[in-house]
Amino acid sequence: MKSRVVPAMMLGGLMGVLAGFPLSAVADGTAPGLSAPERETVEKAFPSKPPYSPYAGRNFPTRPFFGDTHLHTSYSMDAGAFGARLSPRDAYRFARGEEITASSGQPVKLSRPLDFLVVADHSDNMGFFPDLFAGKPEVLAEPTGRKWYDMMQVGKGAEAAIEIIMSFSHGTFPKALMYFPGTRAYRNAWQETIKAAEDFNEPGRFTAFIGYEWTSNTGGNNLHRNVIFRDNGDKAGQVEPFTVYPPMGSDNPEDLWKWMAAYEQKTGGSVLAIAHNGNLSNGLMFPTVETFGQTIDRGYVETRAKWERLYEATQTKGDGEAHPFLSPNDEFADFETWDKGNLDGSVAKTKEMLEFEYARSALKNGLKLEEKLGTNPFKFGMVGSSDAHTGLSALEEENFFGKTTPQEPSPERMTNAFFDNPKTGVKVMDWEVSASGYAAVWATENTREAIWDAMERKETYATTGPRMIVRFFGGWEFKPEDAHNRLPAAIGYTKGVPMGGDLTGAPAGKSPTFLVAALKDVIGANLDRVQIVKGWLDKNGEVQEKVYDVIWGDADKRQPGSDGKLPPVGSTVDVENATWTNTIGDPELITVWKDPDFDPSLRAFYYARVLEIPTPRWTAYDAKRFGVKPLPGTRMTLQERAYTSPIWYAPGT
Amino acid sequence: MSLRTLLKEPLVHFLVLGAMLFVGYEYMNRGSGLETGQIVVTQGRIDSLRASFSRVWQRPPTPSEMDGLIRDYVREEVLAREAMALGLDRDDIVIRRRLRQKMEFIANDLTAPAEPSETQLQEYLVKHSDRFLVESRFTFRHVYLNPEQHGDTLQRDVATLLSELNRPVAQGDFRKLGDPILLNAELTDVPAGEVARQFGDEFPRQLERLPTGRWDGPVMSGYGVHVVFVQNRIPGKVPDLSTVREEVARAWADARRREDSEQFYQELTKRYAVIIEGASSDAEANALAAEAH
Repeated sequence: MKSRVVPAMMLGGLMGVLAGFPLSAVADGTAPGLSAPERETVEKAFPSKPPYSPYAGRNFPTRPFFGDTHLHTSYSMDAGAFGARLSPRDAYRFARGEEITASSGQPVKLSRPLDFLVVADHSDNMGFFPDLFAGKPEVLAEPTGRKWYDMMQVGKGAEAAIEIIMSFSHGTFPKALMYFPGTRAYRNAWQETIKAAEDFNEPGRFTAFIGYEWTSNTGGNNLHRNVIFRDNGDKAGQVEPFTVYPPMGSDNPEDLWKWMAAYEQKTGGSVLAIAHNGNLSNGLMFPTVETFGQTIDRGYVETRAKWERLYEATQTKGDGEAHPFLSPNDEFADFETWDKGNLDGSVAKTKEMLEFEYARSALKNGLKLEEKLGTNPFKFGMVGSSDAHTGLSALEEENFFGKTTPQEPSPERMTNAFFDNPKTGVKVMDWEVSASGYAAVWATENTREAIWDAMERKETYATTGPRMIVRFFGGWEFKPEDAHNRLPAAIGYTKGVPMGGDLTGAPAGKSPTFLVAALKDVIGANLDRVQIVKGWLDKNGEVQEKVYDVIWGDADKRQPGSDGKLPPVGSTVDVENATWTNTIGDPELITVWKDPDFDPSLRAFYYARVLEIPTPRWTAYDAKRFGVKPLPGTRMTLQERAYTSPIWYAPGT
Repeated sequence: MSLRTLLKEPLVHFLVLGAMLFVGYEYMNRGSGLETGQIVVTQGRIDSLRASFSRVWQRPPTPSEMDGLIRDYVREEVLAREAMALGLDRDDIVIRRRLRQKMEFIANDLTAPAEPSETQLQEYLVKHSDRFLVESRFTFRHVYLNPEQHGDTLQRDVATLLSELNRPVAQGDFRKLGDPILLNAELTDVPAGEVARQFGDEFPRQLERLPTGRWDGPVMSGYGVHVVFVQNRIPGKVPDLSTVREEVARAWADARRREDSEQFYQELTKRYAVIIEGASSDAEANALAAEAH
């Protein structure tokens, strides 16, 4: 999508009344306390002398793009084994809004298209038959090849195919038509994946990213990363994806980063990696002391910070933002929690592992490592994605097509076990699979380059499925009245940095201020509240956290009690009928918040968490539609949410 | 049946060989490696291992890495052959699905459709015109009213707002009227689908019916009530083939590939008599097998 800049010539007539355009009302374009590169960006976007046209220079992102950075199709061995039949092409068609037939034979369609999709299959270099019939001269020179080629030209492709298969089984296939592996005629799944993305990528309308999943899983401990290319097939096609089995591959993330560096060096391209499911890593995802037998050192933290710009904080196999054991004072920390063991259930979870598995604790420990080693290895932004193995990025509660093909809608998924390891006692039921989530990206336009660049600068947020719009800016000069401005984005970019940005060196006597705004999904539920989660490193070098309710719905009749707690928003959910109403909460929440407990000498981060009012969980829709009685303990409602990338504060040097 | 007797079964030999025919197709073309007790790592294989490594790492393997690649290849070969000799590839759902998938890849490759003719594309476009519609595009401004904040006076407030905005000489900035909302107050040359994503499905449908050049409404969105000034509307249409040729050709090829793959399966199915125990007739069983996916 092109950014919507109104040409000045359109401003005649009625629009001659535009005096007092909000940009002229904001500060003079200098933004104190921003890091140098950010100040440069801001100044470029908003030169200190405003241009005559109030619309000139408005090149900030005007709406978030929603997508999935992590979808598997039948090209992934495990997805195929689960029974997935859809290819990357099917996945793109579905994401673009077409109705298709799911592997289970059911018709399926999204409520509205996605803006982008990364098909991230476990690429294991599956060989195809030679591309015999691209009309290559050597094929045409051979009489049988010529004959088959001609059959295909007149629409008898299937007949030709049968003849070819027969000739193989009878050993009469013409030797001259054989190709050797490794030659260009020998296609593989990776090239096919690239080709599908190239075919479906439509700049301005739908972005089909090239990507793959590197699936490090030694001992059942999930260290998976999705690798996403900024580039087109001409560059991505020059390499083979990194795999995990030695000697060709490795299960150590540091080797993946080497692969990424080699790719960029060789092709001049760009890649980034997004890790996921720390909750299934059994304490290995966010190490602070050692990893793969090596001490965490300067090299490790710098390299990780360079390549791992985002973290997939919510997905079908559990939510990874926070854990109730780590955040006992956060009443919303226990959301779609998967904390029974590692990915294959071979080792049960212990409490000591949790600190190294969840996004919030990693963000906190990152501050500690930065203090010690000079770089924060866990300075990541947030996205959500599906990790569905169905070719279907269908994550709405009332249109959830499961994580795997057997979990596509059927009466059984309310009662079946997903996996069950009697040795360790780790058992996860299908009903525990979470209909989550999507990645929201504040990009200037819907292209590979613009969305990837926004990911690289972490201007992203995670949602657990709904498409709420969330803005989050940090600076030193936001005033309460900025929340009433009609163009919060303009004022946000002018006076501060967006989500994913940095604040450094507080001006004397100033505390950081945040402009946060959220608008409900246009077809979704109202909002309960907006919170700001602060984490910091205290004077004793210990990490701390606090969750602030900064604005909430129904504020006319809902205020914090004497204990300081905001009462729950209530619930309108009728579980039996799987319905709810927007009679509680607010469609939009916007405010300016100032940190009341700020100490300029301490490192900190801030991110926003937006909660919807309670709505039926997918299990409630299933119970209603299939007439199935849920098992005891099945969660039937939930509060969907969004997590923004943090804004970090570091004391000046 | 013990493993020993199983291994003596001619049927087992036949099936194993049959499986190897597909799984091990690439060996056939070099005529080496199938002989029992001999594993030949051909120069072609070595080159291929080196090439694969180089494409992953962006550099050739060192001699010791090359040794590792070959060692690993031999290990895989030994274990794969022994596993197949034991029939471990049979009744393995992962392998069966992979084989099925490979057959479908073959079908896709081998039945790759020819270049479509102009007539074929034109026919396809006409037949599936709904899939290639060029959406209506709108340039409009809007003022939002939050129903909760207006209650019973909503209708009156809309009327007041409209008369104010439609005055010959407008007063003040329309952006400051109504209630604040995070949506952009004006959108320029935006397709209907994009309007629907931001305002809800009904909104662009209502925009289709509004007059241009004046404020009108109310128009309902997923957030409440809007009054809208449609400045420009470019109606949607079925495009000429020349402007969507690539899209149509892709969809045509996709459809043809599906048809051909299905036909391929039907042809293969003809080679089998399908017997389903409990089915009322063999004809019924065969019909079931041939049912299109």
